[in-house]
Amino acid sequence: MTLNLCVLTPNRIVWDSEVKEIILSTNSGQIGILPNHAPIATAVDIGILRIRLKDQWLTMALMGGFARIGNNEITVLVNDAEKGSDIDTQEAQQTLEIAEANLKKAEGKRQIIEANLALRRARTRVEAVNAIS
Amino acid sequence: MSCSNLTMWVPSKPSLSDTSAISSRSFICPFHLPNSSSSTPSRSPTSTQIQCSLRDLRDRIDSVKNTQKITEAMKLVAAAKVRRAQEAVVNARPFSETLVGVLYNINEQLLTEDIDIPLTKVRPVKKVALVVVTGDRGLCGGFNNAIIKKAEARIRELKGLGLDYTVISVGKKGNSYFGRRPYIPVDKFLEGSNLPTAKEAQAIADDVFSLFVSEEVDKVELLYTKFVSLVKSNPVIHTLLPLSPKGEICDINGICVDAAEDEFFRLTTKEGKLTVERDVVRTETSDFSPILQFEQDPVQILDALLPLYLNSQILRSLQESLASELAARMSAMSNATDNAKELKKNLSRVYNRKRQAKITGEILEIVAGADALV
Repeated sequence: MTLNLCVLTPNRIVWDSEVKEIILSTNSGQIGILPNHAPIATAVDIGILRIRLKDQWLTMALMGGFARIGNNEITVLVNDAEKGSDIDTQEAQQTLEIAEANLKKAEGKRQIIEANLALRRARTRVEAVNAIS
Repeated sequence: MSCSNLTMWVPSKPSLSDTSAISSRSFICPFHLPNSSSSTPSRSPTSTQIQCSLRDLRDRIDSVKNTQKITEAMKLVAAAKVRRAQEAVVNARPFSETLVGVLYNINEQLLTEDIDIPLTKVRPVKKVALVVVTGDRGLCGGFNNAIIKKAEARIRELKGLGLDYTVISVGKKGNSYFGRRPYIPVDKFLEGSNLPTAKEAQAIADDVFSLFVSEEVDKVELLYTKFVSLVKSNPVIHTLLPLSPKGEICDINGICVDAAEDEFFRLTTKEGKLTVERDVVRTETSDFSPILQFEQDPVQILDALLPLYLNSQILRSLQESLASELAARMSAMSNATDNAKELKKNLSRVYNRKRQAKITGEILEIVAGADALV
């Protein structure tokens, strides 16, 4: 049995091909998905997605969304997704530092909400780059 | 072609060198000096006729020719961009289709449950945020004006109701408009780009989301231009937040459209002319495994889905708005090109007539001179 993964963002299809195994960060923790998984629907957190192709692991930064698994078909709907290999390490690190600084400066409920979101996104991107090694 | 039709088009410089008496009678270069018409009735052809030299006319024709080239090029560019915009809509479809399908199903499961999700919470409205989507550039007919007028009308309405409001302006034209009017409270100026991406939609969504969740505003309305056809587009107002958990889009009067009905437009050529086909596709919402389990609470899943839905709604409206802008520019530039052609034709006719008259005059002079010698 083959497992097919499809990662969709509002403007394009990021990934649509066969995989061996994935590890998905859901709202209730990471779950691993192998072929013939029971059909489930889950919310996807801002976090990294690990994909195994034969013996090789790839990472992808997911910016929060939703996943549906069933019939050996995984459909991941996310706001934005970036492959770990496409992210510039330095740039990601800088964004993280800026986000951290912004959170410290944030005042009021609204700014804190915004800063927190930005920080989590930045952190995920850095993780996605570093996880390759 | 009557002379008076040309009045506005010919340069209003009195000719310096004069031609013969004949030419001044046979050729009338009929225009008014802008300042000379103050005392005389402006449209009377005899009172303010001024001649222009051949060279002035030639310059004028050249300038019209250049203008025509520019407008024609702009038209073609807009047409090409409409195609790109439409591609973006097509690319966004797998996402929105799956999303609507999932939303529909989860909603069915939740019908019996009592749900409490921040994004769907209906509060008594005290302050409204208006997201106004305009274009980045002008020269597109009444496109920007129409949406700004709509926004102004809505602002007046809200004022009339005694509600507070704030504006989130998207696009350069809107930014400069609201920037010049400091009495309109603007929360944020955002800029669009050539092709709307999820990132821009995300920026708007983030802003709107935090405004709404922090209870600074109680309702968010989205004002954008709905693309109907290449010659028609409608400025519309949609309620963005609170979202209805049923996956429906509601306008301000509470009339709801089912989001499962997805329309998209396609630019085609029919008999050598560009036309637009608008397809309505109903997303299949029935094929869903009944044994599907929810990893989390359905409420949590809905909580994750609705921001996605919000995003795709915003992206979609940005795309529609861009398509409308390009279509408006296309038709405006097409009109401009037609006008330039017409003007060029008229000017050339006048020019040729005048040249001919001058030659005739010169021949007459020579003949008269020769006659006198005999």
